[in-house]
Amino acid sequence: MRYEVRVAGHESRLDLSSDGRFLVDGTVLNADIEETVRSWQWRVRVDGQVHEVTVLTPDPLRLLIDGVEADASAADERSLAAARGTRPHAGGRHEVRAPMPGLLKAVHVREGDVVEAESALVTLEAMKMENELRAPAAGRVVKIEARAGAKVEGGAVLVVLSETS
Amino acid sequence: MTTAPFRKVLIANRGEIALRVIRACRDLGMRAVAVYSDVDREALHVRQADEAYPIGPAVPGESYLAIEKLVAVAKRAECDAVHPGYGFLAENADFADAVERAGIVFVGPPAPVQRLLGEKTRARRLAQGAGVPVADGTIDPLRDLAEARAVAKRIGYPVMLKAAGGGGGKGMRAVASDAELEPAWRMASGEAASAFGTPALFMERLIEHARHVEMQLIADAHGDVVWLGERDCSIQRRHQKLIEETPGPSVDASLRARLGEAAVKIARAAGYRNAGTAEFLVAPDGSFSFLEVNTRLQVEHPVTELVTGLDLVVLQFRVAAGEALPFGQSAVRTAGAAIELRVTAEDARGGFMPTSGRVALLRLPSGPGVRVDHALFEGMRVPTEYDPLLAKIVVWGADRAEAVARARRAVRETIVAGLPTSLSFHAHALAEPDFVAGRYDTGYVAGHWPAHGEPALPRTALTAGALAAVLATRSRRFAAVLDGVRSSAWVRAGREEALR
Repeated sequence: MRYEVRVAGHESRLDLSSDGRFLVDGTVLNADIEETVRSWQWRVRVDGQVHEVTVLTPDPLRLLIDGVEADASAADERSLAAARGTRPHAGGRHEVRAPMPGLLKAVHVREGDVVEAESALVTLEAMKMENELRAPAAGRVVKIEARAGAKVEGGAVLVVLSETS
Repeated sequence: MTTAPFRKVLIANRGEIALRVIRACRDLGMRAVAVYSDVDREALHVRQADEAYPIGPAVPGESYLAIEKLVAVAKRAECDAVHPGYGFLAENADFADAVERAGIVFVGPPAPVQRLLGEKTRARRLAQGAGVPVADGTIDPLRDLAEARAVAKRIGYPVMLKAAGGGGGKGMRAVASDAELEPAWRMASGEAASAFGTPALFMERLIEHARHVEMQLIADAHGDVVWLGERDCSIQRRHQKLIEETPGPSVDASLRARLGEAAVKIARAAGYRNAGTAEFLVAPDGSFSFLEVNTRLQVEHPVTELVTGLDLVVLQFRVAAGEALPFGQSAVRTAGAAIELRVTAEDARGGFMPTSGRVALLRLPSGPGVRVDHALFEGMRVPTEYDPLLAKIVVWGADRAEAVARARRAVRETIVAGLPTSLSFHAHALAEPDFVAGRYDTGYVAGHWPAHGEPALPRTALTAGALAAVLATRSRRFAAVLDGVRSSAWVRAGREEALR
């Protein structure tokens, strides 16, 4: 899922990929997150720097970052799309997107396949690292949007899943 | 081992000051009786007291201000003393009278002294008669707007209109010019009427760039009055204090002695007993004028305790029981510097608007030189009916620089999540050059806050914040559900049992 985030007036685009990676403005982030108090506080290590972030108020979102108060907001693309007046995705439909620009090394599934949650869908090479993108939920592969060997943009839809219940 | 001044004390208050008084009771070996309104059923002062009694609905008039109910509880619980704390009935002479009529000792000045000093114009006249300077202006209440206009013309603008019936920033207006006088008169007298029951106003010349400096005093029933040092309380918004410190950055030994002597003169002239505070305005040239006497324990009394090593609440009990002060003026020694930060349920970044909510996460500071007086706990719903004070972070240092550094450290350690607070103001002031240098007056908050755009944060901190913002937004619905659920140890134990 992609988020448009604003912290202390600083805007960024954040992608949360289904394999648990984060991308900030299209770049894979070297980050570790520990939730120290559920829904209220995290310890985040970014590039070797550890920061403590506490939610002071959830709505409107106000954070305490290492003792400094900052206003923040995070809107996911679905709610942004809704805000823009387009129809949100139907329930149960998942688009697996390239979290960063890269080379699609392999596609492990075919259209019509039924896959388990967390099973590998494609392998994307970016920044000289191979990343497996995994199924966010159990479902049927409805569409494959790219072929192995193709260069893809960050955010491009690669696989569309229809959730099975 | 000394004997306890009383056997059992009713604490006619709530919040951190009720806890503060309970602690003094413990130290003196006295039993502490709490009272609580409906919204304070689970409050810490109720849990900490030896006994606690419900006194009615949240609205103060039907609970913490209900004199008959409080006296009835004091009698029923067989208390031999009542401590009023600050606020609520602490300066209400009728309450002191009612308590004494019930044969119980009121821990504070006698009712007639409260009445005398509670009328601000009478207090001004008394101070003037005792040879203490008062600001140019009227001694008696103004008759009408025409008289106000004439007085303003005589003493010169800017002037202050003030309520004759009481203080605390209510019924108070600064007036810069003749054009502003009429609307200010209307608003101030309206406020005064609703706050003190009388619209009467008086006028003083406004001293620009003044500091608000107050002198702590304590008097026993044997005629001894001692001053315990000043507190600079100039960091205020809407005439409400945010930071207090001692020694005052602008107060030298000579000014301190003169303020102390002035406070003692007023106390003697009034026949004062127990702890009290004389408030003064100090002009940039070091001249001062008397404002008023607060006939009670002050919110900011801990800074004086930290530099003198005295326990003011214990002293209040001792002199209320008729004991002589255990020391004279020459034995009062102070060491170092102390600063109090008032953490309030007010949004510092939103014009100090009052806020409410549930304390979701609480981390209070500790370590060398740090004392925190508070009544907070995680999960606590901050009531909107009462004073917004959440916690007092009080620090001591060998000198002011050390105290400021420790205050900065303490604020950095503090987290009160769940509702906006005043803490961002404190963090700002403690790093702001004018405050750090001790260069400030009562205009500080207006002149230095909000002085910020967006806070400066390193790149990795912004990224960490962005990640947390996403996670917080994702889990918000979950958190909202959790917020409404009280976890029960029995329910949890039952679930654990089912999993065996």
